Amino acid sequence: MTGVAVRNLRRNPLRTLLTIAAVMVAIITFVTLRTVLSAWTAGADYAAKDRVGTRHKVSFIMTMPRRYVQEVRDVPGVKSAASANWFGGKDPKHEQEFFANIAVEPKDFLEVYDEIVVPEDQRANWFQTKNGAIVGDAIAKKFGWKPGDRVTLRGTIFSGDWEFVISGIYTATRRSVDRSSFYFHYDFLNDDPRGVYTRDQVGWIVSRIDDPGRSAQISQAIDAKFEERDIQTLSMSERAMNTSFIGMISAVLKVVDVVSLVILGIMALIVGNTVAMGVRERTHEYGVLRAIGFLPKHLAVFVLAEAVAVSAFGGVLGSLAAYPLVERLLGRFLEENVGGFFPFFRIDPQTIVAALLLAAVIGVVAAALPAYSASRLNVVDSLRRTG
Amino acid sequence: MSPDTSTQTAGTRAGSANGAIVSAKKVRKTYLRGKEELDVLQDLDLTIHEGAFEALMGPSGSGKSTLLNLIAGLDRPTSGTIEVAGVDVGALPERARAKWRAANIGFIFQTYNMMPVLTALENVELPLLLARLSGKERRERATTALEVVGLKERMQHYPRELSGGQEQRVAIARAIVTDPRLIVADEPTGDLDRKSADEILKLLERLNQEFNKTIIMVTHDPHAAERAKKVHHLDKGALL
Repeated sequence: MTGVAVRNLRRNPLRTLLTIAAVMVAIITFVTLRTVLSAWTAGADYAAKDRVGTRHKVSFIMTMPRRYVQEVRDVPGVKSAASANWFGGKDPKHEQEFFANIAVEPKDFLEVYDEIVVPEDQRANWFQTKNGAIVGDAIAKKFGWKPGDRVTLRGTIFSGDWEFVISGIYTATRRSVDRSSFYFHYDFLNDDPRGVYTRDQVGWIVSRIDDPGRSAQISQAIDAKFEERDIQTLSMSERAMNTSFIGMISAVLKVVDVVSLVILGIMALIVGNTVAMGVRERTHEYGVLRAIGFLPKHLAVFVLAEAVAVSAFGGVLGSLAAYPLVERLLGRFLEENVGGFFPFFRIDPQTIVAALLLAAVIGVVAAALPAYSASRLNVVDSLRRTG
Repeated sequence: MSPDTSTQTAGTRAGSANGAIVSAKKVRKTYLRGKEELDVLQDLDLTIHEGAFEALMGPSGSGKSTLLNLIAGLDRPTSGTIEVAGVDVGALPERARAKWRAANIGFIFQTYNMMPVLTALENVELPLLLARLSGKERRERATTALEVVGLKERMQHYPRELSGGQEQRVAIARAIVTDPRLIVADEPTGDLDRKSADEILKLLERLNQEFNKTIIMVTHDPHAAERAKKVHHLDKGALL
C-alpha cells in the first residue's frame, strides 16, 4: 500500500521535484548551521581533559605577574605550565585577514600542547631564534609562508612593525587546535622597549595536570595560592575555559541554533502545503478508494507515506550534497580564513543522522493535518466532487 | 469468475431470502440544506432479484444516485431499511460497511477514476490490496478480470495511454476483480461516445448473462436503459 503512495510522487513530477529541492536546501542549510555551532564549540568539545587554564580573576584581558607561572608549577598535581600573551598584530600585506598571534615560552608551550607537532629541526631552530615563530600549516599555505621567510607584523596593541623569521610550520593531532595561529618567543616581546606596559606580565597560564579527575581540586588549589595577593586568579579546566569564552558569544550561537530549527519549520510548511494541495486535488479519487472498501486509516497511510517519502528523499539528497558543499567548499574556506573561530569545520556524523531523522519526522508532522482531513472525507461528498 | 473466498473474510456475504438481493422498505433520505430539510427519497420500496440487470432513470435531482449510494452502502437511509444480500446495510457501522462493500459491491463510475500513476493491471489489483492475497495471486486475478473485459494485452498500459472506452473497461475489471454479487454503475456511459458506450453496455450484459452478476445502473441515456431487463423511473424521490 505504501508502494502505491510512493508511486503517487510521479503524479506531478515538477511539484515533487520542487518540493524535494526545497527540502534539500533546508537540509543543507540545517547541516551548515549545525556545523557552524559544532565547529565553534569544537575547542570546548575536544579540549584536553588534563589541562587547566588560569587567568586574571577580573577579566580575560587583564594580565598577571610572570612569576605566577612558576608558582603554578609548584602546585601539587601540576606537571607543567606555560604562559601566553595575546599580541594582536596584523600582517600589513594582509590587513583584512585575522589570525591569532601569541607570545609563548617555546619549550613550555610545546610541552603543555603536545598535540602541536613541529618537525625536530624546525623545533630546534625555533628554540634558538629569538625572533623566530612557528605558524600553522593552514595559514602557511594561505600566505605562502615557508621556513626561513621573514614576516612583519604590525602591532595593534604594541606599536610599530615587528620582524619575525618563520622557524617552523606546525600541524595538529587534535581537532581543537587552530592551524592558522602564529606563535613567537615571549622574550622577544618582553625584552622590547615597546612591550614595557606588559613587562614580566602574562595573559594566561595553561597547566598540564597529572589526574584529569582532579582538575576542579587543582584549579581550586591554584586559585587558593593567589587568594591573598593583589592579583587573584580564576582557574578552570580547559573545557570550562573555552566554554566561558564561547559564553561571550552565546547570544550569536543561540540565534544560529534557533535559525537552524526555524529552517526545519519552513521545510515542514512547504511539505505540508504540497501534501495538502495533493489531498485537495485527489478528493474524488479518495472517495473512490473509500467506496471500494479502503478505510480512513488507509487514506491516512497514503498521505503520510507520500509526505515521508518526499521529505526523506530530500533529506538524503540534501545530506549527500551537504558534504561537498559544507566540507570541501565552505569548510576549507573557513579553516583557511578564520581558523581561529573554525579550526575544524567538518560535518559531525550525528548532524547527518539528526537531519535524516528530522526530515522523516517533519514529513509525518507536515502530513498529519492533510492525512487527518483525507481520512475524515465523506465518501458521498467526495464522489460528487471532481478535480 | 469463481466466488472470492478470501474477500469473504473481509466482509459479510450473506445469502438472500426469496431470491431478492436488494430489498428496500419505506426508505427515506433527508438532507439538511442550512436549516431546511430536503427530502430526496420518500418512503421508497424496491426489490431487485439476484441476477437482475436493472436501470434507474429520472431527471436530475430525482434521487436515483442517492438510492444507488444507499444500496451500495455508501450512505445510510434516514429511516426505513435496505437489505442487500440479506444484510441490513444501513445498520452496519462505518468500518463494517467499508469491509462489506469491499466484499460484495463492484463500483463503476461515470468518470473512470483510475490512478494515473498505476498501470491498468495495478489499478485492477487495487481492491485486492484489502484482501489477504499474495502478490502473485493478486496479479493472476487482476489478469483474469482484464481478460474478461478484453484488455489483457493492455494491462501494462497507463490510463493516459488508453482511450475513454478502454479506461471504462479497466474500471469494470476493477469492479469485478473481487467477484462481487452486486455491481452498481453510476452513468457508466456518460462520458463515452456511442460506439464505446455500446461496447461497455455489451460487456455489462455479458457480465449479467454469463457470470450472473446482478447489475443496477443509473443512467440518463435511454439507449443504455434499453439494455437493462427492467427500468425503474424515479421522480422527486419516489418510484413511478
